[in-house]
Amino acid sequence: MTILQRALLEAVLLGLACGPLSVWILAYRQAYAAESLSHAMLPGLAIAAGAGAPLPLGGAGGVLVAALLVALAARDQRIGSETAIAVVVTALFGLGALLALDRQTPLADLLFGDLLGVTDADLIAAAILAVAVPLALAAAHRPLTAVAFAPLPALRPARVQAGLLILLAAAIVVAVQGLGNLLVLALLVAPGVAARPLRRLGTQLAAGALVGAGSGALGVLASDRLGTAAGASVAIVLVAVALGALLAAGGGAGVRRSPIEALGGRA
Amino acid sequence: MTWLTEPLELEFMQRALLEVALLSAPAGLLGTWIVLRRLAFFTHAAGSATFPGLVVAGPWGVPAQVAAFGAGLLYAGGLSGLVRRARIGADAATGLLLVLALAVGTVLASDVYEAGGGVDRLLFGTLLGLDDGDLVLSAAVAAVALAGTAALGRTWLAGGFDPDAAGALGVRAARGDAALLFVVALAVLAALPAVGALLVGALLVLPAATARLIGRSVREVQLVAIALALAEGVAGLLLAYHLDLPPGPSVAVLGGGIFAVAAAVRR
Amino acid sequence: MLVRAEHLQAGYRPGRPVVRDVEFGAEAGQTVAVLAPNGGGKTTLFRTLLGELAPMGGTFDVGGTVASVPQHDHARLDFPVSALDVALMGAYGRTPWWRRIARADRDAARDALERVDLADRAGTHFGALSGGQRRRVMIARAIVQDARVLLLDEPFAGVDRASEERILAVLDELAAEGRALLIATHDVEQSRRWDRVLCLNERQIAFGTPEETLTAPTLAATYGPELVVLREGRMGLTIQHHEH
Repeated sequence: MTILQRALLEAVLLGLACGPLSVWILAYRQAYAAESLSHAMLPGLAIAAGAGAPLPLGGAGGVLVAALLVALAARDQRIGSETAIAVVVTALFGLGALLALDRQTPLADLLFGDLLGVTDADLIAAAILAVAVPLALAAAHRPLTAVAFAPLPALRPARVQAGLLILLAAAIVVAVQGLGNLLVLALLVAPGVAARPLRRLGTQLAAGALVGAGSGALGVLASDRLGTAAGASVAIVLVAVALGALLAAGGGAGVRRSPIEALGGRA
Repeated sequence: MTWLTEPLELEFMQRALLEVALLSAPAGLLGTWIVLRRLAFFTHAAGSATFPGLVVAGPWGVPAQVAAFGAGLLYAGGLSGLVRRARIGADAATGLLLVLALAVGTVLASDVYEAGGGVDRLLFGTLLGLDDGDLVLSAAVAAVALAGTAALGRTWLAGGFDPDAAGALGVRAARGDAALLFVVALAVLAALPAVGALLVGALLVLPAATARLIGRSVREVQLVAIALALAEGVAGLLLAYHLDLPPGPSVAVLGGGIFAVAAAVRR
Repeated sequence: MLVRAEHLQAGYRPGRPVVRDVEFGAEAGQTVAVLAPNGGGKTTLFRTLLGELAPMGGTFDVGGTVASVPQHDHARLDFPVSALDVALMGAYGRTPWWRRIARADRDAARDALERVDLADRAGTHFGALSGGQRRRVMIARAIVQDARVLLLDEPFAGVDRASEERILAVLDELAAEGRALLIATHDVEQSRRWDRVLCLNERQIAFGTPEETLTAPTLAATYGPELVVLREGRMGLTIQHHEH
């Protein structure tokens, strides 16, 4: 395969996995968690890159440490989950940058990904992800739907949410090779936003996969034509599709709220 | 001892220290509100959103502060438009625009203007090359933060503590909230050159989050936060100087470590 | 008259009033119990009197400032504010933004806490107080506002015995000072001790003295199926609490 074909394959596989996942991330309002887990694994990536170990290994370690620290910090009621996430992400992101800059590792690749440099192992990991995530989502479809609709204690909402976060972490760890620490968020949010105007959940999930894979392919092809950075091009196409879908769907509630209340809902 | 005094003799370090000293006022005063009003995600996203503006500032011959301000305005307008008009949560809208800004900034930096190594400086801050404009902006923002706290502190307190009752108390909470978001955005702009677009939280969130664990009233939290921001900023600068690294990451790591110690002690 | 309503219609969406035909008055020094089932319109009426909702029909007149003690505790318990800080918020509305809180207002806040029997807890973190104590702090905040008209939404719901007695005594004092008090309540027995009773159920059912209004037919019309008759002819209510 040529470099371009490999990049295309990687982008499509990641889109297939992350697209449907992103529908659930939005339903559970976990966009901030997606953003912070992907940022906060930078020290893990930097250590792996410095030691010549596979990036996903370092990423997995980084995500695990980040999740643990957030849980610890959020236990203090005065801090709250949002500030706890911000504290952990800022500190870990700083640590990662420190480690990477100190060892002269190519920080830009970690931050923005290297779609053109994917290895066979990366492709295999992405293929496994593209099969495993939709399967897991299908298997957990009923509890996911029930808890999203009404988080009754009998449904064990904490366990369902933890399961979703584990899938999220797995997707981030694999996708980081292609899109990097900063841009992987596009794959985890944009397809869900694009699918949002659709009424039925099943259609939303399918549309999420389609948008993820399609935008991935389109982004790689566009970057090849225009000579732009591959990961960033994929991210821009993803966001553009999401914004386009929102504008096409139009309409929304016109409740007047204070600007901070409008930003809230994560409290 | 020379570890401390040697950097002080250098003009660029004197400037950097003055910059951090000026920033500690808005960091402590506004950081307290960022933590109490749960604006950490907004703050972080506002910082990242300025990235494309910073990238084009040099090639376009525009002052960096002006370009960053323009990018920030675009982001704020886009966010309020999305949240108000489209059926999507604020967290998803914030994530979408944040990743768009980073992707556009990446394409501009790597493919259009080939900014190369300068990108690290934009993302993680710099000790060198803080110009008079940066210092003036920080001084102005410090003054605005002081004036805002004096004039609107009660509004921010009543609106955040009990939003339902604010109207009956004769407090104009919605206007106060809009003003708070605006001054926080100004503080983000001021903090950019020193700690970088990705790590504004190192100054604006971490010291106040730590102070939240220590102070018992809003006033106490603010005073402790100012002191911590000053101490962490100065120590971070010295560390960055000796390690020959950008200051953002070292300030962030120091702040995270001090938060961890405070959280462990105050348990 | 400190409060007067005539043909008042109140609601949120045009053409769909929550409560209509409201016609009552309260003089200085009078206490009015407001009885209504859930969704019967008492919160909507209060929000209209506070000026948060424009009346949808008819008129109302309030002679002086209005303060409210809301039922639902939406206050953020994690905020670093003390009981005194919260009481002081009653003075925010009259303090221009360029001034500090006046010394007289600080004294007023301390006095108000004294009146609700919480002088010794002035420095206590608001979130660390009990539910009844928090309600009393909110009443102190309304006292500091020095409003002529006080709207209290279920001031006794979920409140411990000591707090309830203290609150009753303070409300009597406030009325004696020449203020008008509107007290939304579900406690039919207790509303006998107030001067007037206003019964609402999507429209005004009755307004008058307790003797005139607290009759079986009026209460049946007010509460409908929520009303149950207990032994010895006393009435009770089955109340499903819900968010408004």
